[in-house]
Amino acid sequence: MKGKDLINIGIFSAIYFVVVIVFAMLGFIPVFMPLLAVLVPIGGGIPFMLFLTKVKKFGMILIMSIIMGIMMILTGMGFFTVIVSAVTGLCAELVYRSGQYKSAAKAVLTHGVFSMWLWGNYLPLFFMADKYWSTRKDFGQDYIDALTKLMPMWMCPVLLVTAFVCGIIGGLLGKALMKKHFVKAGIV
Amino acid sequence: MTELRDVSFSYAAAPEKGCIKHIDLTVPDGQFLLLTGGSGCGKSTVIRLLNGLVPHFFEGELSGDVLIDGRSVPKMELYETAALQGTVFQNPRAQFFTVDTTGELAFGCENQGIPENEILSRIGRTVERFRISDLMDRNIFCMSGGEKQKIACASVDTLQPPLILLDEPSANLDYAATMQLRGIIKLWKAEGRTIIAAEHRLFYLWDIADRTLLIRDGAIAEDWSRADMDAMTNEKLAEYGLRSIHDTDPVTIERSCSRGEVFTVKPHKKFSFPAEIPLHEITAVVGRNGVGKTTFLRHLCRSARRSRRIFMVMQDVDHQLFTDSVLEEVLISLPEENEERAREILRSLDLEDFADRHPMSLSGGQKQRVAIACAAASGRDILLFDEPTSGLDYEHMRQTADLLRQLREQGRTVLVVTHDSELIEACCTNIIRLES
Amino acid sequence: MIKLDPRTKLLLLLAEAVIVLGQLGGGNAEPFKTVFMALPFLLLLTVKKFRTAVIGAVLLGLGLAAGHIFTEGRGAIVLLMCSGILTRFVPSLMMGNYVMSSTGVSEFTAAMERMHVTPKITIPMAVMFRFFPTVKEECSAIGEAMKMRDIRLGGSKVMQMAEYRLVPVMTCSVKIGEELSAAALTRGLGSPVKRTNVCRIGFHAADIVMFLLCAAALGWIIWRSVT
Repeated sequence: MKGKDLINIGIFSAIYFVVVIVFAMLGFIPVFMPLLAVLVPIGGGIPFMLFLTKVKKFGMILIMSIIMGIMMILTGMGFFTVIVSAVTGLCAELVYRSGQYKSAAKAVLTHGVFSMWLWGNYLPLFFMADKYWSTRKDFGQDYIDALTKLMPMWMCPVLLVTAFVCGIIGGLLGKALMKKHFVKAGIV
Repeated sequence: MTELRDVSFSYAAAPEKGCIKHIDLTVPDGQFLLLTGGSGCGKSTVIRLLNGLVPHFFEGELSGDVLIDGRSVPKMELYETAALQGTVFQNPRAQFFTVDTTGELAFGCENQGIPENEILSRIGRTVERFRISDLMDRNIFCMSGGEKQKIACASVDTLQPPLILLDEPSANLDYAATMQLRGIIKLWKAEGRTIIAAEHRLFYLWDIADRTLLIRDGAIAEDWSRADMDAMTNEKLAEYGLRSIHDTDPVTIERSCSRGEVFTVKPHKKFSFPAEIPLHEITAVVGRNGVGKTTFLRHLCRSARRSRRIFMVMQDVDHQLFTDSVLEEVLISLPEENEERAREILRSLDLEDFADRHPMSLSGGQKQRVAIACAAASGRDILLFDEPTSGLDYEHMRQTADLLRQLREQGRTVLVVTHDSELIEACCTNIIRLES
Repeated sequence: MIKLDPRTKLLLLLAEAVIVLGQLGGGNAEPFKTVFMALPFLLLLTVKKFRTAVIGAVLLGLGLAAGHIFTEGRGAIVLLMCSGILTRFVPSLMMGNYVMSSTGVSEFTAAMERMHVTPKITIPMAVMFRFFPTVKEECSAIGEAMKMRDIRLGGSKVMQMAEYRLVPVMTCSVKIGEELSAAALTRGLGSPVKRTNVCRIGFHAADIVMFLLCAAALGWIIWRSVT
C-alpha cells in the first residue's frame, strides 16, 4: 500500500465520519438511538461507494473500519466498537476482493457488511458488567429493573441486521448518485 | 542538471487535455526557467514530470525520460524524488498538511527522518532568511492567502532542495503578496538553486528569469533567452496570447464615472463600507488582501436578500454548481422553470453544446460561464463577481471582460472584486477602493 | 492550565469507557464512579469549553433525575431507558469532546508514533484530522451559495435538497483531497524511512495524578468485588 492510498483512506474517513456525525445527530435523542443503525448506514453509503472506486488493494477498507472504531474510542463511545469494526472490516475486505475490486453488486454488499461496525456502539447497552454484578444479589424487582433499563435483549440482533440492511440501501443510494454525478463529473 | 529527453505524455483521464509531445529540454544548474503558455498547453504537465506526480499520481502514457542529476524520475518512487526537489502549488488552501505553521515547516524534513534538532535549526534558518517570525506558531486556517503561500515556500525551503518547482504560485495572490513571493524567489535564485516556474502572470518574474519557454499544444513553440526577453514588449506578448509584463498595482488605477442612479448599501457594524454603488456600470472593487473585499460582497448580498436584486458569482465556482447538467443548473435559477428560456440563455453564452454535460466536468473558464448563465437566468440586475480571473490566461481574461461588458449592455450592474489590473483596464468603468 | 499527554488522555477515555459506560463493578465502583462521571466536566473547564460542559451537565442531570421518577407502566420503561443511556453516554462523550478538542494533529501523531502504532493507521488518521476543518469550510461555503441562489425548500424537493447539499460537498472535498494528496506526496509522505517528529510530548505531574487515579479506581473495584 502506497502513500497515495493511505492519504485516500484519510480523506474518505474524514468525509465518512462527518456524514456519520451529521446523521447521528439526527438520531441522538436517547429514545431514538436505534435510529442510528438506520440513518448512518444510509447516509454513509454515499461517500463509501465513492471510496470503493479508489480501493484496489487489500487492507484499505480494514484500516478505515479500524479508524472508525478508534474514533469511537476517542469520542467516548466505548471501546467495544473497535473490536467489532476490525471483524466487520475484515469481512468487508473479503467481500470486495471476491469481486476483483470491480463488481458493482459486490460493492453494495461490501457496504452492507461494513456498516455493521455501528452495532458495536450498542453493545455497552446490552452486555456490560452491571447486568452481571447487580443481578448477582437478587432476582425479582432488581432483575426486572435492570432488564428494562437496557433495551430488551431481542433488539440486539435486530440492530445488527438493521445496520446491514440499511447499509445495502445506502450502498444502492451511493451507487445511484455515483452514476448521476461523480462519474459524469469525472472524479471517479 | 535537469533534463527532459524526448518526453511525450497524455493523461489517462483526459487524453486530449494538457498533454506533452516530444519535448527535449536541458536546464543547467542554477538557471531560472519560466514556462508559459495558454491554459491546457502542458506547462503544468512539465512541472509534474519533474516532481514525479506524472506518472505516479496522474496516470497515463509516458514515453521518453526525465532526469534530475542523471537519475530517472519516472523510475523513482515519489518519496525519493521528494528529496531532490520542492514544489509550490497554486492553491494555498490545499497544500498544507498540518494545521500549525511550525509543524508545516517541519513536515518535509520529518518525512525524510531528519533528526529533530537538525529540523529545528533548519526552521530557524528559514524563518530568519524569509523574515516570517511573525507567522510562527499560528493556525494556518486563519491566515491570508499570501501568508499561506509564504509558509508553503518556507516549508519547501527547509528541505534545502537543489531544484525548486512552482506551479502558478501567484494565481490566488494579490499584488502585494505577489511581490513578496517575488522576493522569496529572488532569494532562492541568489542562493544558486535551479528554479522552474509555470506561470500566466509574467510581470513579477520577467526581469529575474534567465530563460522563458512558450509552450503551445504540448510542444516548445518559443525559447527566449535573456536578451530576447529584454526586447519583448506588451504588444508582442499579446500577439502570443500572453499576459503583460508591466503590471500595475490595481490600487493605483484611476477610473470614475458620472453620477447616475445608485444602489444604497446598508451600513455595516464593523467595517466602513461605501454607501452607494453606481448602477449600470462595471465597478472594480480593489484593496489589499484582508481589507474586507469578500466581506463587502457578502454584506451586499445580505442587505439585498429580500429585494432579490443581487446575484454573486463566488471565487470558487465549484461551490455554486449543484446539479448534474448545465441545463438543469440554469433551469433551477430561473424564477419559473422554462426550458426554452434556459436554452436561449445557454446559446447567448456559447454553452449550448454543453447543455447535457455535468457542470463539474467542465474547465474553469467554462464553469464560470455556467455561473454567469445562472446569474443571467436569475433575472437579477446587480451581479457581483469575486476574483473571476484568478489563474486565467490572457485569452480567457479577455473573454471574461467581454462577458462583463455584455452584461452591462443588457442594463445590469456589475461589481468585480479583483486584483487583476489587466481586467480592470479592459472593461471597468468605475473603481471603489477599500481601505482598512 | 492542565496540559495532559495524549497518552494519558487515551487512558482516561478507556477508564471512562470501562467505569461509566461499561458500569464495571456496578455498585462496588462507588465512589470512583461518581468521580469519573464528574471528571470530564472539570477537564472541559480547563480548556474553557464552558458551553459544552453546561450542556453536558444538564443532560446528565436529566438522566439522573429520570432514573428516580418512579411510575408504573410504559412510561417507566422509556424513562429508565433514557436514564440508562444518558448516565452512561454523556460523561464518556464529554471526555471524548475534551480529548478531541485539546489535542493537536502533531501531538496526536507524536503520541501514536511513541506507542509504536503502525504508520498505516497513523497517516490516514492524521490526514483525516487535517481534513475535518476543510470539509466544514466546504459545507458552509456551499450552504451560503445555496442561500444566495434561493434554492427552494419544500415537499418533493426535500430529497433534492439533500442531494444539492451533500453532493457538492463531496465533489469539492474529493478535489481538494487530491490536491492535498499530490502536495503531501511531493514532500515525501509515505517514505519507508522512520518519521521523526518535532512535537514535544511527555509525562508531567498532572499525568501522574491521572495515572494514580485510574490505578486507584481499578484497585478499589477489584478489591471490593472479591471481598
